[in-house]
Amino acid sequence: MSTLAREVAVVGVGYSELSRTGEPNPNTLALAAAKNALSDAGVTKTDIDGIFEYKFGPESPGAQDMARLLGVPDLAAFADIFPSGPSGVAGALAGVMAVASGACETVLVFRCLTRAAGHQGGVASGPDAISGRDQFLTPYGYLGGILVLLGLKKQRWMAEYGRPEEDFGHIAINARRWSALNPRAVMRDELTMDDYLSSRMVADPLRVLDCDYPVNGAVATVITTAERAADLRQRPVLVDAMAYGTGRGADWIFDTDFLYGGAIDCANRLWRRSSVTLADVDVAQLYDGFTPVTVAWIEALGACGRGEFGDWVGDGSRLAPGGDFPLNTAGGQLAEGRLHGIGFLNEAVLQLRGQCQDRQVPDARVAVVTSGVYPQCGAMVLTTV
Amino acid sequence: MTQTVVRAQADPRPVPAPDDVTRFYWEAAANHRLVLQRCQTCHKMQYPPEICCVHCQAEEFEVARTSGRGVVYSYSVVDRPLHAGFVDALPYVVALVELDDQPGLRILTNLVDVPAGTPLSCGLPVEVTFEERGPVTLPQFRLLRSPS
Repeated sequence: MSTLAREVAVVGVGYSELSRTGEPNPNTLALAAAKNALSDAGVTKTDIDGIFEYKFGPESPGAQDMARLLGVPDLAAFADIFPSGPSGVAGALAGVMAVASGACETVLVFRCLTRAAGHQGGVASGPDAISGRDQFLTPYGYLGGILVLLGLKKQRWMAEYGRPEEDFGHIAINARRWSALNPRAVMRDELTMDDYLSSRMVADPLRVLDCDYPVNGAVATVITTAERAADLRQRPVLVDAMAYGTGRGADWIFDTDFLYGGAIDCANRLWRRSSVTLADVDVAQLYDGFTPVTVAWIEALGACGRGEFGDWVGDGSRLAPGGDFPLNTAGGQLAEGRLHGIGFLNEAVLQLRGQCQDRQVPDARVAVVTSGVYPQCGAMVLTTV
Repeated sequence: MTQTVVRAQADPRPVPAPDDVTRFYWEAAANHRLVLQRCQTCHKMQYPPEICCVHCQAEEFEVARTSGRGVVYSYSVVDRPLHAGFVDALPYVVALVELDDQPGLRILTNLVDVPAGTPLSCGLPVEVTFEERGPVTLPQFRLLRSPS
């Protein structure tokens, strides 16, 4: 029994092709992912009565666009969640709530990204006079999306705990250990610690290998009631618990808890609601838009105390295939490609179904998924029977 | 090699556009004072300015002059162009400075006047200075000179 008003299951996952080049039409990508998710679930467009998606702007179709392209006759609930949510899983969290509440029976959620939209390292331009909250940021060269912010977060973590950069390198190296086993991943070459430590700085001390890899692609998920899931094509994966979190002083840079933001509140809320504990988790899919984010989530979830990640992770093998804390088994956004969170959800579902082939974690029955971080935290525990 | 005299161009870096909530801050900066909102109820200061106190939600503030001193809480060195306006400013240091006035009270700034090769680290003491950028004055921070 979850704490949701109705039991909810994830029943379908779908991907478009993921590419490192070209400028594919976002509608084409999103529609392909959606159709694959519906087909995977064994539902049809007329079963869908809710669509929720997360977007920045024109890199993705909206909920109504998807309804029109897919031929969904009507939507009982829908939302385009602009980018203050817990990254792409914001759409899935909204979908779970819609199904749990009875607002919808079967929802489609998706995230579509293009390299052009997702690439934050280019030279931007903008107005000469900056209004709003950014007037305290942009004139100081706080730029590159959140690249400079993550440089500040990484620097502070190392200083506060007296730890070396190698701690973050373990996250980057681990991503490639798993992506080597994932044909869908775009970055599959092995990485060494030397590779990590010699990779170029994007906002010193943030290195390019701390950053996820932009791709063209879309990913989609179908969510329905546990009752309905029992009659569908796949082994149902149940939503055991879900949570959001912002933390006090909700903000990316002036948050009260600079290193974790809302991650600890979100994780504590998640475990209070869950029927399992971290010790029961067989596979962890934790947001890795930047390696400091993953380290923050590992500590927030309680795998180790604040600042103890370096001692806990050791040589990194516990995160890898065969380890006791299998992490980001598709390669995460660092290596599979930046799909803004829903990639983690779908990989957790595939693991719990036992469909991950070479990278399958044996007997995986409990997964934890986190998305976003700092003031935009989201998390789920998924289980299978 | 011929020398070319280049006329000074307007600084291409963006500047703040003050509004009703923030104008006091930039006006004080123009007078080379670093001031913040201090809540008249809980007496805590806050940055950036907000319409109410983020600590106790009261709405009455006084404008409080700060010590202008603090320590580097974190910093990042940017040496590649992320914005057209900063191309000529590279490399620059973005820092969070925690002010001595109140634990956890942090300001985003640049570390300026850092001599090349100066080792930086979190915890270094800094003091406010002021940068004229076109029509606007920006509070900035520099390393506190160690007493000789």
